[in-house]
Amino acid sequence: MGKEFLGEFEELVLTMVGVLGEDAYGNAIVTEIKDRVGRDVNLSAVHVTLYRLEDKGLVKSHMGGATNARGGRRKRIFTITNAGLAMLRAMKEARMDLWKLIPQLKIAGG
Amino acid sequence: MQKPDPRTSSPPSFARKFLEWFCPPFLYEGIEGDLMEEFDTDVEELGEKRARRRYIFNVVRFFRPEIILRNKLSLQIMNTIMIGNYIKVASRNIARRKLYSFINAFGLSVAIAFCTLIYLFVQDERSFDQFHVNKDYIYRIHDTDFNPDKYKKGEADPYDRFAYLPAPLGTTALAELAEVQYMTRFSQGEGVMRYRDKIFKQRYANADSGFFKMFSFPVLAGDHAHLFRNLSDAVLTRETAKKYFGDEDPIGKIFTIDVNGEKTMRVAAVIEAPPANSSIQFEMILPIEMNPWFIGNRERWSNYSYPTFIQVYPDTKTESLQDNLNRLYQKYVPEETREWRERNLVPGFKPYEYGVTALSDIHLRKDVDWQKVSDPQYSWILGGIAVLILVIACINYISLALTTSASRRIEVGIRKVVGAYRKQLVQQFGFESIVLALISMMIGLGLVAIFLPYFNDFTGKEIVFTAASIFQVAGVALALSIVVGVLAGIYPSLYLSGFLPASVLKGTFTSRLQAGFTKPLVVFQFFLSASMIICSVIMYRQMKYVTTKDLGFDKEHVVAVGTQTGWNVQADRAVEQFRNAVKNDPVILHVAGANFSFDGGWSRNGFKINGEDKNAYVYRVDPEYIPLLGIELKEGRNFDSQLASDSNALIVNEAFVVHMNWTDPLQEHLNWKEDSTGQGAKIIGVVKDYHFLSLERKIEPMFMSINQKDVGYTTTILIRLAAGDISENIAHVQDTWTRLFPDRPFDYSFVDEEVARQYESYTRWLNIMALSTAFAIVIACLGLFGLAGINALNRTREIGIRKVMGAELTSIFVLLNREYIALALIAFVFATPVSWYIMTRWWLADFQFQTEVGWELFAMCMLGGLALALLTVSYHAIKAALINPATTLKHE
Repeated sequence: MGKEFLGEFEELVLTMVGVLGEDAYGNAIVTEIKDRVGRDVNLSAVHVTLYRLEDKGLVKSHMGGATNARGGRRKRIFTITNAGLAMLRAMKEARMDLWKLIPQLKIAGG
Repeated sequence: MQKPDPRTSSPPSFARKFLEWFCPPFLYEGIEGDLMEEFDTDVEELGEKRARRRYIFNVVRFFRPEIILRNKLSLQIMNTIMIGNYIKVASRNIARRKLYSFINAFGLSVAIAFCTLIYLFVQDERSFDQFHVNKDYIYRIHDTDFNPDKYKKGEADPYDRFAYLPAPLGTTALAELAEVQYMTRFSQGEGVMRYRDKIFKQRYANADSGFFKMFSFPVLAGDHAHLFRNLSDAVLTRETAKKYFGDEDPIGKIFTIDVNGEKTMRVAAVIEAPPANSSIQFEMILPIEMNPWFIGNRERWSNYSYPTFIQVYPDTKTESLQDNLNRLYQKYVPEETREWRERNLVPGFKPYEYGVTALSDIHLRKDVDWQKVSDPQYSWILGGIAVLILVIACINYISLALTTSASRRIEVGIRKVVGAYRKQLVQQFGFESIVLALISMMIGLGLVAIFLPYFNDFTGKEIVFTAASIFQVAGVALALSIVVGVLAGIYPSLYLSGFLPASVLKGTFTSRLQAGFTKPLVVFQFFLSASMIICSVIMYRQMKYVTTKDLGFDKEHVVAVGTQTGWNVQADRAVEQFRNAVKNDPVILHVAGANFSFDGGWSRNGFKINGEDKNAYVYRVDPEYIPLLGIELKEGRNFDSQLASDSNALIVNEAFVVHMNWTDPLQEHLNWKEDSTGQGAKIIGVVKDYHFLSLERKIEPMFMSINQKDVGYTTTILIRLAAGDISENIAHVQDTWTRLFPDRPFDYSFVDEEVARQYESYTRWLNIMALSTAFAIVIACLGLFGLAGINALNRTREIGIRKVMGAELTSIFVLLNREYIALALIAFVFATPVSWYIMTRWWLADFQFQTEVGWELFAMCMLGGLALALLTVSYHAIKAALINPATTLKHE
């Protein structure tokens, strides 16, 4: 159970890693969340979550190439693993199943 | 995207280093890069200053367990394992040597508690008037007047500064100076307020409508936009409103207030009461026009009664503001007044001028008299005392740690042999002292909570714990205890970790202690306590002297009651009425009237006699005044109400006779009204000098008159009571009062208490000093006690041998104690001149009448201190001397 479980924020970050593909690193995720969901999140929170996801094996990371920006620091690029994708998919399906069980919506929809 | 040049804008390097320090190396680059990127964006969007601030903030946000813990697990596994061991060893050591741990923890916790309290005090001092939104733009105007008396005394700053200014200054500044946005005058007074059956003496403030625009006292109810549009508007604090109207809605209520004539007012708004850390205090605010004297002074530049605040537009320079105010002075103040102001000016000094004080500086600006104003020196002195106690406690820790180091030696040797680095040992001992400091901190915080009410009493503050301040205090205490732990631990840990394992383990170390460093520490510690002892004894002597000194009048059993009539002839009638009503009363022996009691009120007149400037304090009395107070008449006679001519007669004091250079005062007249036709008032008597002012001042020239037209009205009734149950007698006076004047509040005070109140701040200092001295002595003695114990322990074998060889008990006692006595003596030799200098220069200098500080005082302090030291150390000496030598020597 504990292993299957993802928090709301973890799920958001994981999804963003999937969305951003090869360009998923801390700052990009913060900006992406801000742009797409309109939510201000703190960089450190995103980092901590990414590391936790990595611990759970849902993402993996490697260092990107050096650039002139960022004081010459390399980016830690995160990519979603198959386990991560499976996890997202499972969560989505579980939610859809639950969604269908809400009776009012059936009436409203029909 | 434009790339900011990294050379011109870079994040604070300390924050980056901090990040590098706590961040796991394999994560560092990614995090640092992301932070840099965010910083660069911030520089562009928000500017460098805010970007740097956000960078620091972001770094701190990364300082969280999820990041930090990723570190240590792999890297410093040795250390974390050892920390467990350190805790174990530390707790064993603390538990094994209960006495020493107690001495250390007690001293440190008292010191931490003290420092925390002082922190609260200083914090409160600095928080004054910080809550006003416009605080940066509000100034109080004051005047700076050259004072030739101060110049003659050689004072460095021979000026008087007063915040009481002419009424038209504020309005003129508002009308003519472009930089002035709002203005309010702010004067205070007292009247009798009535609402139905509620009649109380009520303090009030007078202000202009600008008051509500300038200051941030929230208006809780009522119309806050148009306050004081009607002159009958009154603004009450919630507490005042409750006092008169209870739970009813106060808005719109009609009440009357009697300040030299009754006026009807209407409650227009209820306002939040000013907090304790506000320099502007009020219970009720009325329009300045309701001040009965204001109308006459509205356009007068020669009356100085109205403190004035102005709010300026942003970007106004203080200097140009002052220049502009002084331009108003030149323009509006009549030339003769200006010349008169400069009549005694010494070349090279500035004549009369205006200055301004920023609102938030008012509280600590002690050269301008104001409510609650306080001397920033106090904060320094209190802080100094706290640091002294902290030092004494730290010295205890250091010297005890050094002297007990013998027992840790083997441990150090073994640790080193099995591979401990010296750095680790330093860490270990430092860790121990921090653990002890943290334990002390918890006790210390408990002590703060317990002592806070007493501390408030002592310092006259109203500090309370709020959720925010508890957090702050805990933070301060934590920081303090870590600093203390490091400071106290650093020397012992360096010392202990320096042992060479071979020599320790082979046993070539003698068991005698060689920590020579402890002796100067003990001397220093004793020096601090000795100085504090001497200072508090001098303070105590002076307070005793002041409170028991014969003031030249009998202050016991005299009650002063305000007539509550206002400044008019009703006051004299009230005295008469009261006197007639109690003619044959067994409890009320005497009734007299005066314009001032002894609570600090006075009036002083200057006049010219034969071209010379003279001045004197002037008192309005009645014929009963001198007999009631038991003032001695040296020459002449008392006033006589039967003689009509006495209304133009004066009784002077001896100081006045000296001031005027009279040889036969009873033949003299004093033309103090500078009346061009007559020769002035006749002198009919001379009283012996008595202290009508506090002992901080000399007895100055004064005279008394019974003339109400010239001097004023007897607004205070002095009543001499028969000896007996004081509360019963007071109740009797009150009954009589309410029977005679049912609509006037009975407001009384005892003259002896009024006199004592003049020394309140000094008594407060005595209390603080006594308390901290007591703590310092206890901590120092505990330390000495511990040291003596260790010393005796170190010498048990020596004592055993001496006893076997036939040493007397007394000689062993002397042997063990003489060292400490010598140390204490040295300390006293240093402490005496230092404390003498501090006390005579600083504390006693405020008093014109000082107790003598003779050598016997120092001798007494020294003997007391030595006795205390001897008492502390001799427990161990006696114990060591009494041990049977067989028990100590049989192990050899």
